[in-house]
Amino acid sequence: MASPHPLQPDLCSDHGGEHPTIWDLPNIPLGLKQEWLNLETRRHFLGRGAKALAWAGLASILGRSLPRALANESSSAPLLPHFAPKAKRAIYLFMAGAPSQFETWDYKPGLSSMFNQDLPESVRGGQQLTGMTASQTRFPVAPSFYKFAQHGQAGRWCSELFPYTAKVSDELCVIKSLHTEAINHEPAILSITTGNMFPGKPSVGAWLSYGLGAINDELPTFVVMISKMPIQVNVQALSNRLWSSGFLSPEHAAVALRSGSNPVLHLKDPPGVDRSVRRAMIDGVNDLNHQLFDRVGDPEINARISQYEMAFRMQTSVPELTNFSDEPSSTWDLYGPKAKEPGTFAYNCLMARRLAERGVRFSQVFLRSWDQHNNLPTNIKILAEDSDRPTQGLIADLKRRGMLDDTLVIWGGEFGRTVYSQGALKPQDYGRDHHPRCFSMWLAGGGVKPGISYGETDDFSYNIAKDPVHIRDLHATMLHQFGFDHERLTHKFQGLEQKLTGVLPARVIRDILL
Amino acid sequence: MISYSKFLTLSAALALVAISPQLGAEPATFATRVAPVLEKNCTGCHGENKQKGGLRLDTFAHVMRGSDDRVVVKAGDFSTSELHRRIILPASDEDVMPSDGKPLLSSADIALLEKWIAAGAPATEPFDAPALARLPITSSAAPDYRPRLAAATALAQKLGVRLVPRSIVPTDGLILRTASAPTQCTDAVLAQLAPVADLIVEAELARTKITDAGLASLALCPNLQILDLTQTAVTAQGLGALHLLKNLGVLNLTNTAADKTTAASLKNLPSLHRLWLFGTPADPVIAKPAAAVVK
Repeated sequence: MASPHPLQPDLCSDHGGEHPTIWDLPNIPLGLKQEWLNLETRRHFLGRGAKALAWAGLASILGRSLPRALANESSSAPLLPHFAPKAKRAIYLFMAGAPSQFETWDYKPGLSSMFNQDLPESVRGGQQLTGMTASQTRFPVAPSFYKFAQHGQAGRWCSELFPYTAKVSDELCVIKSLHTEAINHEPAILSITTGNMFPGKPSVGAWLSYGLGAINDELPTFVVMISKMPIQVNVQALSNRLWSSGFLSPEHAAVALRSGSNPVLHLKDPPGVDRSVRRAMIDGVNDLNHQLFDRVGDPEINARISQYEMAFRMQTSVPELTNFSDEPSSTWDLYGPKAKEPGTFAYNCLMARRLAERGVRFSQVFLRSWDQHNNLPTNIKILAEDSDRPTQGLIADLKRRGMLDDTLVIWGGEFGRTVYSQGALKPQDYGRDHHPRCFSMWLAGGGVKPGISYGETDDFSYNIAKDPVHIRDLHATMLHQFGFDHERLTHKFQGLEQKLTGVLPARVIRDILL
Repeated sequence: MISYSKFLTLSAALALVAISPQLGAEPATFATRVAPVLEKNCTGCHGENKQKGGLRLDTFAHVMRGSDDRVVVKAGDFSTSELHRRIILPASDEDVMPSDGKPLLSSADIALLEKWIAAGAPATEPFDAPALARLPITSSAAPDYRPRLAAATALAQKLGVRLVPRSIVPTDGLILRTASAPTQCTDAVLAQLAPVADLIVEAELARTKITDAGLASLALCPNLQILDLTQTAVTAQGLGALHLLKNLGVLNLTNTAADKTTAASLKNLPSLHRLWLFGTPADPVIAKPAAAVVK
């Protein structure tokens, strides 16, 4: 009888084929067999000591990827868009920590006359607050310390914090009615990066990599850059669960470029090791991996082979990518002098353009420290000054090179902030607590209507007054611009057709699309 | 930098025709918007020749009559309409329509049917339909790639480039992709793509070794809509060969030697609506003395 299962594990010598195992038995559901495999592994690990360690490691890999193997995933060949895409690539400027909407994109002139008045109870509607402000006796209204003025042909009200971005205001589509469930950073940032507040789901960039594949095989499809902070206040850790491939093949996870002068570690061949030696070594490792794949059939082994190959190719593609000497002098006028300093937000914006030019599908640039529970007027200005000019530079640079039409640029954080001050309210000093009920983001390029706003909040930017946009809707819209119907970009896992937008209804925001 | 509008004023000789939203001008009715969606997706099995389940969707009367056992469109309420229920199911559901793995309806088509049903499923009166996409990328950009895709893929692989479908819609055409090894893409490579030239709707040729000689090969791609020649050795003179490309809408000449005579070379391209000249001698910012540019 042929092997009943492609993964029939020849894991241990005592199952060397002489004795029938559970895999040979008919009428046993696969789930039970899988359970057996897991228990068997544990038993052997405990019973056989050190020698079992290596096998346990392998088994844990197998255990993790079993569902995928059972689903008989053929290969990592990309799918195809459901319809012709408008966007080829995206650059996501992620303002981690959640910038306040009041000082940025949700202009509320009516609040200036309400300084220090109590937020009406009816507005708050009995909402449960975070532990950080729940015990406050008062919820005094804090108007924006920063002034707004109209810019561009569209006459958009822009904050004085963003004098540069205001210059490209006509390129932006500001959405003021985003909302999310999570009121704390980790679940909120997971929700907006992966569509789910529990870790383990693929990030947006991983879904795009899975669906579209690479434009340039010499570089990763999905790149993450974490920027040096001009100020470090209430900084949350970022980790690779925000850019993981989840249950998709690991090659769809982002490659995180480091913020030092050496963006990828160990990329240079050591002295005395030339390319041919390195090639021979990788061929040897690949050969071993192919043998293992032939034996156990786990597609994750192929993913590992492809990662070795990617690293090898990056040895030549990354030095060219990171060598900015071919930039015209106008680049530095656009992004500002900080763009020459590796790891800064400005440097990363320029890098994002270079990645986009070379075909990287999704670049996510993180800038942290927007979590301004106190000292907001001082700290938000420092962050705005760090990011404003390169943000405008990126938009203008993409535009002049003819790349903005098919590059979707996204700016925003994980939730909004409260209209009331956290802690003492002074005219020039206040803080704002987390607020998931509404927040602002902007999109530019990639087939999104320029120069418009979408959605409205109430007078206190506390509740949404018109056209709510759940982050699921944002995700559905992003996928749509890449040619995907979010209902049909799926991957079977744990018995479900998993998708970025999850099981609750999501809609493409057609009103903002060209 | 040069913007489209600046370029227009710069060169009156270049007659660029803006895309007219002609399709959107027609009122949305069953005949103009709904019937084409049904024809594209449904009437192969539910039409004049075949009537699976006794259902025909090829005329208004048939649509409203429904199948042998039920009404499929409940005027005014798409959420209880069987037609709607079937088309929004996930691909894996055995009830999903179209069945047998055929491409499902796009979100845009579903939204259109929703609007029509919600408006009371009118027979002839106009209803409030989502606007049609304004971009010139239409459903029939090139001949059906399916019979030739394997050969095209193999040819591209042999030449060190890639030809990938723009979408699962077989008439959306192929993208010529070179970013993995741009320097391998030469004029000779382009010349050898002649057998699949009519399938190519977009050519990504930035940083390739293409010269004016290669433009002559591109001129034989009648369905080419988007052409990126960033940082290649093409010249304004060679661009004249592109006059045959009646569908070319987007042309990127960033960092090329395109000069002031470019406009004359491109004047016969009726569909051109996006032209990028950053970093070229034709870019007025570059053409000015350096001192005048400093901000």
